[in-house]
Amino acid sequence: MGVSCVYTYPVPEGRSGSQVVDVLHKQIETMGGTKMGNFHVDCENYQSVMLNPAKTLQILHSSEYPASCFAILDSGITLVADTLFDGLMSNLKNYYQARKQNKMEFKGQRFQLADFVIKIGSVSLAGSFKGILVEVEYCPSVVASECWNLLKELLHSLIGNIAESPPPSLKVKMDETYTPAMTMAQYLDHFNNFRKAAAMSQPPR
Amino acid sequence: MNLEQAQADLILQSLHLIQKLRNGVGQVFKDLSDGISEYVEELPEKEDSEGNKDKSSSQNQKESTGSSHEKSEEQHEKHRTILKTLKKSLETISHDFSDLEKTGANIGPVQMFSNIDNLSLDPVDKNTVTHSQLLQSYKWTNKMHELANQAVSILSQNTLKRTQSPKFTNPKRQKGNLLAACLANPAAIDQLVTQLNQNNPDAKFSLSRPLGSCGVMQIELGRTLRAIVVLRGLTIEWVKVKGYDETFKTDDGQMDLWSGSRYQVFQKITHHAEAASLHYYAPLMPEIAIKSFVLWLRGFSNLFSAPCQKCGKYLQNNMPPTWRDYRSREAFHDVCRM
Repeated sequence: MGVSCVYTYPVPEGRSGSQVVDVLHKQIETMGGTKMGNFHVDCENYQSVMLNPAKTLQILHSSEYPASCFAILDSGITLVADTLFDGLMSNLKNYYQARKQNKMEFKGQRFQLADFVIKIGSVSLAGSFKGILVEVEYCPSVVASECWNLLKELLHSLIGNIAESPPPSLKVKMDETYTPAMTMAQYLDHFNNFRKAAAMSQPPR
Repeated sequence: MNLEQAQADLILQSLHLIQKLRNGVGQVFKDLSDGISEYVEELPEKEDSEGNKDKSSSQNQKESTGSSHEKSEEQHEKHRTILKTLKKSLETISHDFSDLEKTGANIGPVQMFSNIDNLSLDPVDKNTVTHSQLLQSYKWTNKMHELANQAVSILSQNTLKRTQSPKFTNPKRQKGNLLAACLANPAAIDQLVTQLNQNNPDAKFSLSRPLGSCGVMQIELGRTLRAIVVLRGLTIEWVKVKGYDETFKTDDGQMDLWSGSRYQVFQKITHHAEAASLHYYAPLMPEIAIKSFVLWLRGFSNLFSAPCQKCGKYLQNNMPPTWRDYRSREAFHDVCRM
């Protein structure tokens, strides 16, 4: 467990997502990184049935923490529970209903570079490609403010100026001891942005 | 000794003879190839001249056949000389060969030094690589022996001695030092730890004795690292450094002194800390030695946030500056400290 930073990597026009991902993979390999299998993050979207205005609850799973699930409310309150929590949610059908069309997935390959773990993959909303996310984790450190400069140096050589400042959700917690929930909050920020962008591009019915 | 010398002379002599023999055989082949090539060259010339003469008048034909007769005579002459030289060289060869045989008969069987030489003679083992590998390992052992001897001579000049072997140290002097440093009172160690806790607010020190009389000091440095220091009296015996999220306890709650960190950074720092524990070794002033070691270790509190003093960068080979100078405690990359 260490400090993670997640960034969106823009896909230039005229190129497919998998092409960009391939270029990034090659870049990591030239930096000395080695492939260490695949990873998978998914985010399920639940909406309250009785409350008005409706509240949303997001449940995230990550292959990095296979025994846990992370439930995050709109307010940012996070609950870290065992994966049994999913079974509980299905019993709460009358209060919270899953919206399948809003399920997001982030899949790709995982690389190890000395003590860094780099994850590059594509994000899909209900099966369609939405964008690319890059996550860099520095495992030995647990305080973001201490290792931010270090991470920035690596991120610069990987994705350039995109990583000029820490991710917004991490910025306010730079001096706290890092927890996996902070990574999930970053994922959720990006997922929400992708969802918003998808909703904007869709013509209103 | 004399016998050996004579044997060596004989071998040398036979080697010379072999050289001579080879030279002779080479000469024969050279002569043979020269002779044949001359003979081959003659033939087309003869045909050519005959062809020219066909074109000219038939009167000249008789003369031409006459001249060709002369030419064949010449050729025969040449043939004979070639054969003569060939015969001569062959005779020299047979002479040389019999010489070699005679000398060879005088050479006694080569004395085997070890079973390995027998192994090399075994035809079954021809295809295996055992012999060459053994020879190689002999070479390495010899080399290692040589280097070890050099190391002993260098180490015996060094004043920082911890090994009790009489080869390295003056036993009389060592005895007094060891008594002071190693047989420290447990209460004195407890006192030292409380003192360290008071003087270093950024680090937490705790002492336990899982191994009996030896004290094991655990150091928690901010939120950066954890270190374990095994003390024999007041001498540092063993150092391990791990990450803040790692533990020095095994699954069943026992203290784990041996396993290393899973992070490359802390594996590197463990190596450096081991070197530092030798650097700060002062048997006459053991407390000062431990205090200066702890002071040095505290230099790692900015492990992830300090850039290298030489190259100004945070990362080198994807590692932060893992070295702290012994005097100034400035941060350097492992490769930048030279």
